[in-house]
Amino acid sequence: MNVLEIKNLYKKFGAQEVLTGLELNVPEHAVYGFIGQNGAGKTTTMKMILGLLPKDSGTINVCGETVNYGQTRTNRYIGYLPDVPEFYNFMNTTEYLRLCGDITGMDKRGITVKSDELLELVGLQDVKKKRIGGFSRGMKQRLGIAQALLNEPKLLICDEPTSALDPVGRKEILDILQAVKDKTTVLFSTHILSDVERICDQIAILNNGKIAQQGTLAEIKEKHVVDCLKIEFHTEAEREAFRRLFEDEKVRQAECPDARTILLHSTQIADTQLKVLEMLYKRQLMPAVLELEEPTLESLFLEVVG
Amino acid sequence: MKTYLAFTKKELLEYTRTYKLFLMVIIFLGFGFMNPVTAKYTPELIAGFMPEGMSVEIAEPTILDSWSQFFSNIPQLGLIIMVIVFSGLMANEFSKGTLVNILTKGMRREAVILAKFTSASLIWTVSYLVSFVVTLLYSKLFWSDTGVANLAMAVGCVWLFGILLLSSLLLGGILFRSSYGSLLFVGVLVVVMFVLNVLQTIAEYVPIRLVSVNMELLRGSIGASEVYAAVGITIGLTVVFIVISMVVFNRKRL
Repeated sequence: MNVLEIKNLYKKFGAQEVLTGLELNVPEHAVYGFIGQNGAGKTTTMKMILGLLPKDSGTINVCGETVNYGQTRTNRYIGYLPDVPEFYNFMNTTEYLRLCGDITGMDKRGITVKSDELLELVGLQDVKKKRIGGFSRGMKQRLGIAQALLNEPKLLICDEPTSALDPVGRKEILDILQAVKDKTTVLFSTHILSDVERICDQIAILNNGKIAQQGTLAEIKEKHVVDCLKIEFHTEAEREAFRRLFEDEKVRQAECPDARTILLHSTQIADTQLKVLEMLYKRQLMPAVLELEEPTLESLFLEVVG
Repeated sequence: MKTYLAFTKKELLEYTRTYKLFLMVIIFLGFGFMNPVTAKYTPELIAGFMPEGMSVEIAEPTILDSWSQFFSNIPQLGLIIMVIVFSGLMANEFSKGTLVNILTKGMRREAVILAKFTSASLIWTVSYLVSFVVTLLYSKLFWSDTGVANLAMAVGCVWLFGILLLSSLLLGGILFRSSYGSLLFVGVLVVVMFVLNVLQTIAEYVPIRLVSVNMELLRGSIGASEVYAAVGITIGLTVVFIVISMVVFNRKRL
């Protein structure tokens, strides 16, 4: 069953079209990576799922129920972690979780038990009596996950949960998200691709207001076998000489990391390899490094949005 | 109902921990104390500062002077302080984004409005009550003749006017999302009421009457029934403000 289904979703802000017919299906118990550049419409989409923004047209279903703007009943299935979660600074962790529990209609005992369990999970057990005002960003993010998971949601929506954190904080958040995947479905927006590769089962790449690619990481990589051949020369002059002479319509030259290197993307990498070797031999050029690189999510992403 | 109570509790905790409750009670306690004391001792002070040989006839102060202090301090300074203290009622939640978590947990937006209105009203009521009781007790201590007409009505009118201001702060905050917006909305409302109050034909219905005829009520020169119209209009306006707040807030983007 799909926890989240979005059909033909449109959204405009003034003259700017943000979403143009977005379709998205998120199956149960997946960690779903929602990838796109800054400003691609990730946050807009998430806010519409939560009923915080009105949609222009299209339908959003959460656990089979339709989402309405403003007051939406579907939010009882959802836990939400905003990109920069804000809490009441004058409260301590326990008090805040109690407030959240009361609002979702949990009983007193349930709140206490669940709060302790979640604070343990996110590693805030030691500071549960401290005021939130003194928390670091990473701690707030972890508290954000705890409050989002309090009512055992079927769908956990995280809006760029790791973007503002240092490497240690990022690792902690990713570990937590990994750990909760048995209990809930995680929809997780980001533009940090290494995070996606670490924890996501499935991904969707948002581009120009539509989902450009959707599926498991392996599937998408397979569909877009864009292998990459890296050729590094000893001098810039050699590289320039090679660049001028080499032509192949199946090959796309990617941006080079430095002045002595060329990256070639190709769908038929074996052919390209032969051609390159042949030409290197003909011109008597000796590369320092000739290397076949695995397709990465980054190359895939750049190809999709490029 | 449970969510409403939980949120009211949160509001009251906020007022306590951010010292707003403390501030309000202390200030209004100060007013309560000052009213009878200034009424009682001002004539003596003036007499003490008079140059020698000069004598001025000053009437013996009565309890009416104490109430006159009360009804000039509270509606002027007291209400201004209250409005400033509560000006961030909605604005803080908007600017910090703290409501996003709460609302996505299924809290009804109407309940947020009601909880905010109740808790602010509660604090206003407590502060005002403190002020009133202290003035009353000291006045009883200073004067033996303490009889005044329509005391409950006169005192209740100011309280009700404060409630109206709170509801307009709430609406202003929701319309403009900022404390300046809230303050401006209340300011404009009060100015409009002053202007309308000048027109003889409708002056009787303008809520500002609740804070301008208090001494006349106490002296008995007008009866309680003569403010009923303004009381009715004020209650009506408060309800209307709260309802509009709910409707607008329901459509508000966060």
